[in-house]
Amino acid sequence: MNHVIVVDLGYGDAGKGTVVDWLCASRPVHAVVRFNGGAQAAHTVVLPDGRHHTFAQFGSGTFRPGVRTHLSRHMVVDPLALAGEADHLAALGVTDALPRLTVDRDALLATPWHRAANRARELARGGDRHGSCGMGVGETTAYALAYPDDAPRVGDCLSPARLRSRLAALRDRLAAELGPLDAPSVDDCVTAFTAFAERVSIMDGDHTGRLLRAGTVVFEGAQGVLLDEWHGFHPYTTWSTTTFANAEVLLAEAGLSGTATRLGVLRTVTPRHGPGPLVTEDPALAPAEPHNHTNAWQGRFRFGHFDAVAHRYALEVAGGVDGLALTHLDVARALRPRICSAYDWTDRLVPGPAGDLVRQEELTRRLLTSRPVYAEPPPTDWPTAVAEHLGVPVLVTSDGPTASDKTLRHAPAPAASRPAPASRPAPASRPAPASRPAPASR
Amino acid sequence: MGSGIWSTDVYDAAKSYRRASGKSAFAYSDGGARTVHPSLDPRGVDVRESRDSAEHPESVAIAVLFDVTGSMRHVPRVLQEKLPQLLGLLLRKGYATDPQIMFGAIGDATCDRVPLQVGQFESDNRMDEHLGNMVLEGGGGGQMMESYDLAMYFMARHTAIDCYEKRRRRGYLFIIGDEMAYPQVKRREVQAVLGERITENVPLAGIVDEVRRKWNTYFLLPAGSWHAKDPRVLGFWRDLLGQNAIELDDLDAACETIALTVGLGEGTVDLDEALDDLRDIGSDAAATVSKALVRIGANRARRTRSALPARTGTTDRVTRL
Repeated sequence: MNHVIVVDLGYGDAGKGTVVDWLCASRPVHAVVRFNGGAQAAHTVVLPDGRHHTFAQFGSGTFRPGVRTHLSRHMVVDPLALAGEADHLAALGVTDALPRLTVDRDALLATPWHRAANRARELARGGDRHGSCGMGVGETTAYALAYPDDAPRVGDCLSPARLRSRLAALRDRLAAELGPLDAPSVDDCVTAFTAFAERVSIMDGDHTGRLLRAGTVVFEGAQGVLLDEWHGFHPYTTWSTTTFANAEVLLAEAGLSGTATRLGVLRTVTPRHGPGPLVTEDPALAPAEPHNHTNAWQGRFRFGHFDAVAHRYALEVAGGVDGLALTHLDVARALRPRICSAYDWTDRLVPGPAGDLVRQEELTRRLLTSRPVYAEPPPTDWPTAVAEHLGVPVLVTSDGPTASDKTLRHAPAPAASRPAPASRPAPASRPAPASRPAPASR
Repeated sequence: MGSGIWSTDVYDAAKSYRRASGKSAFAYSDGGARTVHPSLDPRGVDVRESRDSAEHPESVAIAVLFDVTGSMRHVPRVLQEKLPQLLGLLLRKGYATDPQIMFGAIGDATCDRVPLQVGQFESDNRMDEHLGNMVLEGGGGGQMMESYDLAMYFMARHTAIDCYEKRRRRGYLFIIGDEMAYPQVKRREVQAVLGERITENVPLAGIVDEVRRKWNTYFLLPAGSWHAKDPRVLGFWRDLLGQNAIELDDLDAACETIALTVGLGEGTVDLDEALDDLRDIGSDAAATVSKALVRIGANRARRTRSALPARTGTTDRVTRL
């Protein structure tokens, strides 16, 4: 089986959705497995007939008949947002998205109280917002770290009594900390969550292994490596491991360590949604973004020139890739972005040990005052230029929004040619929550 | 990254889940099952029967067996979605008086855990349950052969159908797949899968003759499968079944193609009428079906109306077999 892991090597928004859709359209993929993040993901897929959907929890292969989605235990599952997403897909003619969905029983549940607490905290930060999406994903993670045995999980939806007691405890604890939260009643929530459990297949932990043995699987990452909880530019990060690590754990559990092709996704213009460092930011780069809008929680969508320094750092902390998918070549032709090959003080950001957030915060401060040094002349042959600057082949290019705009350039390189994962972080256990400054929960 | 662009109200969600259709139609398979469901296990089966009854005095046996190996990609799921409509389609237009339908699934006996699954003949929606209990193997060999031979062996020797036994009218067998059959039905596979002892292997040509005595046998090669355009597959089935090997360029039309083939075979409709029927019921499959069935339809036409408009020119995407 040629399993593939798709990870964004920037700040997100590089085009994971369209790349996953293309993979599912062009080969016999039977399942997409999500392995990080939650309902805050926004992976836009556009079909040739103009229909489009911004995938949040469903895999971006859902437009392709028969392609299943499995939400692994590394996901934070939001059944309320999921219902809305299924409704939108049904309105587009995809009426069987829910029957094609399976969910790991151990995945954490995002609830209205998490969401309300997330928003309350972000509002309290005033001008120092972290760029949270307001969906409560980080809040859900934080609560589970504080109360590991009492955090509501997907499997609890099968036991209404236990679900009710866990939700009540959650409500009471968060209200004690933050004051009354704007959320529906526990009973209403129990009703909705048990309806979710009746409609969606809830699986044990072996299900990913069964999927991997039954056919080709695409692992779809969310957010981007530069937002990683341990290696991102703290505190403008997400409370989620955004590297290949979670997917590799799932593969290892199935006895398939290291067998999947690792595909990094990058865009010719480096985007960032919300605050935080973007060394190459240039207001002149304002491509039309029909599906990415300013929103109340993250603010505007920002653009910078291709930041090879940051992307090299992402490659290093992620442990390397087999190849890249480079999107928005059409945008590059129109806007003529440049490639930032160095900053004014270095051409390499040295990865630190996983979880040293003090160090990461220093790095962030440094980046906020760094100036880009651009390679001259601006590139014309983007795939070649990116491959040279990053030292990895560009396997896929994208000239437009749909799957048919993608071009496969080379056969995927064998896994052996992967750069040595010198600084690859172990999927370490998290430190105690108390030792951790609050991250942005995107 | 994005934001909450969905209406996420808890009441909406509960309503939405209540409204949503059930779990996966392949719930058994999606639940992780890798062994044949007892209701579909061919082992030890004497015969699957299609019998006349007071309610259905003139039964017509129809069997649809589809390949569930990996090379078929998404085809089994699309078929699974479409096939429950088959009965309605047959009845609504009176193509067959008392259709009784059996669904089955074909894997690869050389490497699969579930090489053959066969349901019962049903004349109501119990056939949906059989579809739901199928295991989608998803594997397959890579040698471009699947155990269609074993499936035909089962159909030849382990079915009993009144339409043939009482009225000498053959049933209809549709095999939907994209690979070739093995050159012979192997003795040890019959033993392993059906639990039946036979003294020697049966050559493929022999079993094809045998099955065709009782069954009008068709092979449908759907677009979207891995080997759909491989000329070796086309040639293989053309040699065995002649014009009854049909290439289908739109899987969504599988159901209509089967229904019309039965209607044409039963002489209850001619091709032009049938295509009109499809348009009447709002099906957009008419073009695909007409292409797939043009030869069969022309031969079987009830009246000698002019044949179809020329759709078989060089730009035709359908390769006639």
